[in-house]
Amino acid sequence: MTRATNRVLTPAELDRFGEELDALRRRVTADLGATDARYIRRVVAAVRWTGVAGRALLFLGAFVPMLLWPAWIAGTLLLGLSKILENMELGHNVMHGQYDWMGDAHLQGATYEWDIVATGDNWRKTHNFRHHTYTNVRGMDDDIGYGLLRIFPEQRWRPFYLLQPPIAVVFALLFQWGVAIQDLRVGRWFSGKMKTRQLLRIARPVGRKAARQLLKDYVLFPLLAGPFFLPVLLGNLVANGMRNVWTFVVIFCGHFTADAEVFPKECIRDESRGHWYLRQLRGSSNISGGPVIDVLTGNLSHQIEHHFYPDLPANRYAAIAREVREICARYGQHYNTGSLPRQFGQVAWRILRHALPSRAPSPQPLVQGA
Amino acid sequence: MRIVRSMAAPTSPDPAFDATRRWLDPAFFDFWTTRLNPLWTWERPRARLLARRAEGEGAVTLLLQANRHWRGVQPGQHVELGVQHQGSWLRRHYSPTSLGGGRFEITVKTTAGGRVSPHLAQVPLGEVFELGQGFGDFTWPAGTSPVLLLAAGSGITPMRALLRAHAERGFDRDVTLMYWVRRREDACFAQELFALAEAHPRLRVHVHVTGEGVPRVDALPDTQWPALAGAHVLACGPGGFVQAARARLQDQVAGFQAEAFTAPVQTQAEDGEVEVVLARSGRTLRLPRAVSLLEGLEAHGLKPRHGCRMGICNTCVCQRQTGATRHLLSGQRHDEPATPVRLCVQAPSTDLILEL
Repeated sequence: MTRATNRVLTPAELDRFGEELDALRRRVTADLGATDARYIRRVVAAVRWTGVAGRALLFLGAFVPMLLWPAWIAGTLLLGLSKILENMELGHNVMHGQYDWMGDAHLQGATYEWDIVATGDNWRKTHNFRHHTYTNVRGMDDDIGYGLLRIFPEQRWRPFYLLQPPIAVVFALLFQWGVAIQDLRVGRWFSGKMKTRQLLRIARPVGRKAARQLLKDYVLFPLLAGPFFLPVLLGNLVANGMRNVWTFVVIFCGHFTADAEVFPKECIRDESRGHWYLRQLRGSSNISGGPVIDVLTGNLSHQIEHHFYPDLPANRYAAIAREVREICARYGQHYNTGSLPRQFGQVAWRILRHALPSRAPSPQPLVQGA
Repeated sequence: MRIVRSMAAPTSPDPAFDATRRWLDPAFFDFWTTRLNPLWTWERPRARLLARRAEGEGAVTLLLQANRHWRGVQPGQHVELGVQHQGSWLRRHYSPTSLGGGRFEITVKTTAGGRVSPHLAQVPLGEVFELGQGFGDFTWPAGTSPVLLLAAGSGITPMRALLRAHAERGFDRDVTLMYWVRRREDACFAQELFALAEAHPRLRVHVHVTGEGVPRVDALPDTQWPALAGAHVLACGPGGFVQAARARLQDQVAGFQAEAFTAPVQTQAEDGEVEVVLARSGRTLRLPRAVSLLEGLEAHGLKPRHGCRMGICNTCVCQRQTGATRHLLSGQRHDEPATPVRLCVQAPSTDLILEL
C-alpha cells in the first residue's frame, strides 16, 4: 500500500491554512438559520416515526400471527434504523452543541441524553473533549483501539493482540458497551492502579443508565406484547446489535484507514490553530457515497469536516467539504476519502496486520523545522 | 426589556410526576402531544396568541392563553417569552397583565432594528410561544403610607400592572408615579395612566421628558418631589437610573425596592473591566475585557468546567442571560439574551449575567 503524499508546509503556510479554515467557519456560522433548524427537527421526527413504526410492527405479530415474521423483520429493521439515526445524526451531533444556537431546550448539547447504554456525560468528556482535542495523539486519545485493539504499529505489541481479530468482532457486536465503560478505564483497575471502591463509585451513573436501557428494551416493551414476549425481545436485541455494528464500522472508518496517522504527545506542545487543523486532517478519513450514507452515518462520512468543525451543524458538512477539499488541494494535503468497502477494508486489514508484531515507519514531520 | 434576575427553574411539586419523568422523556411526550395541540406539553409552560391590537404609536398589545403549567404572575412581575424566529428561540422579558384563567396581556414596543418586537407585531394569530414562570419581587407596600413609583423607559410596565391591579380596589393612600422618558412620544400607556389618575383623586401621574429639559432623577429639584418622609419607593429602569434614584432617595424614605435592567450598551472597547454576575453561585466579579471569560474567572480562583480551551468541545458552555460578549477568534459581538456561550473563546464586552 502506498502512503499518501503530503507537502511539508512552512510555518507561514500552516498559519494561512488555519486562517482559511477559520474563515470558512465564520462564513457558515453567520449563515445558520431556519434551514438548519428545519433539518434537525426533521431528523427528530424521523427518529420518532421510525421508532414507533418499528415497535408497532414488532407487536403486530401478537395480533396477526400470520404476519409474524415479515412484520418482525420490517419492525426490527425500522427500530434499528431509528436507533442509528438517534445515536448518530441526532444524539452525537446535538451533544457536540451543533444546534445549541437554536435555544431549543430539547436540543441542547450540554443536557441531551441518547438512547444507548453510555451516558451522555461520559461521552461529552471522552469524545467531545478528549477525542476531538487530542485526535489520534497516542496516550491522550482513548479512541485509538479503545484500549483493546492494536490498530497502529506505533502501539506496543503484546501477545494478547494475537487474539484481536475475533475480539474485534465481539467488540463490534457489543460496541455500545465499549463506549459505556470507556471513561471508567477498567484497565487501571485490572492493573491495580484503581481501587474497587473507586471503580464502583464512578460506575454508578453508567450502571443506572444501562439498567434503564436493559429494562426498557428487554423487559418493558417485550412485556407489553404479552405472549409474544420473546419475538419482541429478540427484535430489540437485533436492532441494538445492528446499531452497534454500524456505529463500530463508521467510527473505525473515521480514523483507522490505511493513510490515517497517529501522533506523539510532543506534537501538540504549544500547538497553533493551523497545526491543529492539519493534525485533524491527517488523522481522519471520509466515506464517499452521497446523501444516504451521510444521513446513516450521522454525517461522519464527512469525518474530516466534522473534526475541523465539530460544533457546526452536520447538515452543512457536505457543502463545507467542497471548499475543504479545494483548500487541501491547494496546500498539497492528501484528502483521505473512499467508498465504505474500501475504507472498511483498510480498517479490517489494520486489525489483522497489527495483531502481529509490526514496525512503525519513520515519522514524517507535519511542518518544516519541526 | 432585560431584567437583572435569573429565571426561576421550573419545578414539579408532585413526587409521582417526578417518578414518571424518570421513565418518560418529556421530549418524547411533547413531540407526540404537541402534534395534537401545541399547548399540550409534559411540563413546559407555553402560550398561544389569541388576539392583537395596536397600542398607540409603534406598540402592540398581545392577548395570550397559557397552558396549565403556567402558574400565573403577581402584578409587577415579569415573564420570559420565547419566540421562534429564523430557526432559533429568542427570549425577551415582559410584564404581563393577568386576566385570569391563564390568560394574560403583554404590550410590546416595536424597536426599530430589533429582532423580536417587529416579529411580534405581525406574527399570525395562533402562534405558540415558550413561556417562563413569573419572577420579580416588587410587592405593594402594606399599610397606608404613601407610595412613590419611579420608572424610566420600559421600566413602566411593572408599574402599570401594579397600578391597574390596585386601582380596582381604589387607592386608600397617596400614590405618585414619576415616569422618565427621552421624548414625549416614547411614553407608553400615557393615555391610560392619565385616565387612571383622572378617575382616582389620590393617584398622581407625572411624565418627565428629559429631551424637553426636565432634569434626570438625581437632579430633580426638591419642589418637584412629593412628600418623601414615610413613603415607600418602587423603582424600575436601566441600572444607572435605579442607582441614581437609590442614591437620591434611600435615606429619606421608609422603604426602597428596585429592579434594574441592562439597557443595551454599545461598546467597541476591548480593554478595561466589566461586572459579571454569576447567577447560580450568587457572586459578582470584575473581569477584564481583554481575555476570555474562562481565563478571567480562573484568575479569580474559580474553576469552571472546561475542556479544549479552543472553542470546539463545548464543555464550558454556559447560558449568558444578559449582556454582550466578543468572540475572540472571529471578533464578532453577541448580545442575544438567554443564549449559550463558550467561556473559553468569549470575552466580555459589557456587564454580563451568566448562569454559572
